[in-house]
Amino acid sequence: MSALSADSLVVKRGGATLIDNVSLSLGPHGSVAVIGPNGAGKSTLLRALGGIDAPTSGHIRFDGRDLDDLDGRERAQAIGFLPQTFEPHWDLSVAELLELGAARTKALQPHALDGMKQAFELVGLEHRRWSTLSGGERARVLLAAVLVVDPPVLIADEPSAALDIRHRLEVIRTLAARGRDRLSVVVVHDLDLAFRYFERVVMLADGKVVADAPADRLIHDPRLDETFGVRFERMKVGDRWALHVDS
Amino acid sequence: MRVWLGLVFCLLVAIAIAACAGASWASPGDLWHALLGDPSMASRLLIEWRLPRVVAAALVGALLGLGGAIYQGVFRNPLAEPYLLGSAGGAAVGATIALLVPLALPQTLLLPVLAFVGAWGATMLVLGIARVAGAVDAAGLLLAGVAVAAILGALRSFLMLALSDETVSLQVVMSWVLGGIQTPTWHGIVLLLATALACLGLSLLFARQLDLLGLGETMATAFGVDTRRVVARAVLAGSAIVAAAVAFGGLVAFVGLAAPHIARWLVGPLHRPLLPASALVGAIVVTLADAIARAALPPAEIPLGLVTAVAGGPFFILLLARRLRT
Repeated sequence: MSALSADSLVVKRGGATLIDNVSLSLGPHGSVAVIGPNGAGKSTLLRALGGIDAPTSGHIRFDGRDLDDLDGRERAQAIGFLPQTFEPHWDLSVAELLELGAARTKALQPHALDGMKQAFELVGLEHRRWSTLSGGERARVLLAAVLVVDPPVLIADEPSAALDIRHRLEVIRTLAARGRDRLSVVVVHDLDLAFRYFERVVMLADGKVVADAPADRLIHDPRLDETFGVRFERMKVGDRWALHVDS
Repeated sequence: MRVWLGLVFCLLVAIAIAACAGASWASPGDLWHALLGDPSMASRLLIEWRLPRVVAAALVGALLGLGGAIYQGVFRNPLAEPYLLGSAGGAAVGATIALLVPLALPQTLLLPVLAFVGAWGATMLVLGIARVAGAVDAAGLLLAGVAVAAILGALRSFLMLALSDETVSLQVVMSWVLGGIQTPTWHGIVLLLATALACLGLSLLFARQLDLLGLGETMATAFGVDTRRVVARAVLAGSAIVAAAVAFGGLVAFVGLAAPHIARWLVGPLHRPLLPASALVGAIVVTLADAIARAALPPAEIPLGLVTAVAGGPFFILLLARRLRT
């Protein structure tokens, strides 16, 4: 039984085919990294999976139900979506943003808000406004606001790309760790992080899935070099493999 | 809580000052006597003429503040305002037709209805132009709004020249265009009050969705909002509010822009407190502006729209400058 599946998904925008007949089946738990070169359709695929943009044709199912048949509130509770960039139009406070995230459900778990503040180290920041937060704090606030209703599926479009390495690692680890008992699908730009922290890797190119395999297998796959157009050197670092690009 | 008590207190003080102000000033004592039922001519004039006008000004201000807050929420733009986005211009065209074209319906019914149709049509037109141009942002909306407002202004002028004759003087339309609170009967006040309260209640129903819209189209959708539907509904509600304000107060500029800003400083950006706070601030501003309009150059009355434009213009320039700098 898959939690989230895409069936012959096609997304066309302005005459260009961005997603070309993609089918995917994602289990109720697991961490999945989506990789691919620029323009491969990663963001487009995630936005369709998250129910943000409707596909041109094909179906997305959550728990066996067509995503179109879920009303907005149901979908928002089932699927948490982290965008690539986020800039609120009003200078909201941390507490207000969490309140908006929590408003997706009428039955918020007691202490869910407090738990989020603890988990994401936001205690004491409640009254700070968005414009005064650092990049790392912003990422934590957004994660907390999305995860406060504990959605079974999390879809994240590499929200950490603009962060420094420590915060980036922190966010990627949090997203991957969610795959232990939930489904976590993340676009990851740093291939090392994708192969190191995620169980399964889906590789896209030109709107198609070119490989879909466990991370420890795909890292040795020659299609990786072909898709990214470089020659990777696989190096053993400790007990795991890492990628190095010959320049 | 202190903020709300403060706002209500300020409104009551503003109403008291405005009730005293006029070509001939009344003292607070006179006002008190009149309220207690003093039968003298002066007291009856206060109660039957000046006070309804003051209360109507407060209610028109509340509608403008509320409408402005909704427009800014929908367009996610602190510079959005009914008058800049053409909806007031549309309402004015509708009202001009109601005033000048002899149709077989009573004007009291025709004016609000046509004002509403004009306001709604103009706003949807601006939104549509910005969408087609692919620029539903501050600049795109303002440009589309300015263009539509200019066309509607020309249309209104043409209608005024083409349709006015001896029976309907230009003066009536002109004074209305420049903005001025009509002195209603207490019956009219009740109608206006009911309209304002209904509009406030209606807008509070989608306050949360306006909050979510403010997170941007993507996050709003991710949090379960059908953004197109919310925008369409909110524009409809905003147009009804602007039409009601225009029907009772003519064209009063900048209140819808300034009131939500002041309210945001006081209660923050979430719409549940922001909508009623904007209404209160709008009520205070227009009550005082109307008092100035009546009392500044006795025995003449300055059009209310001129007073608010003189005060609001610089406020807008300040906001624009601050926004361009960031």
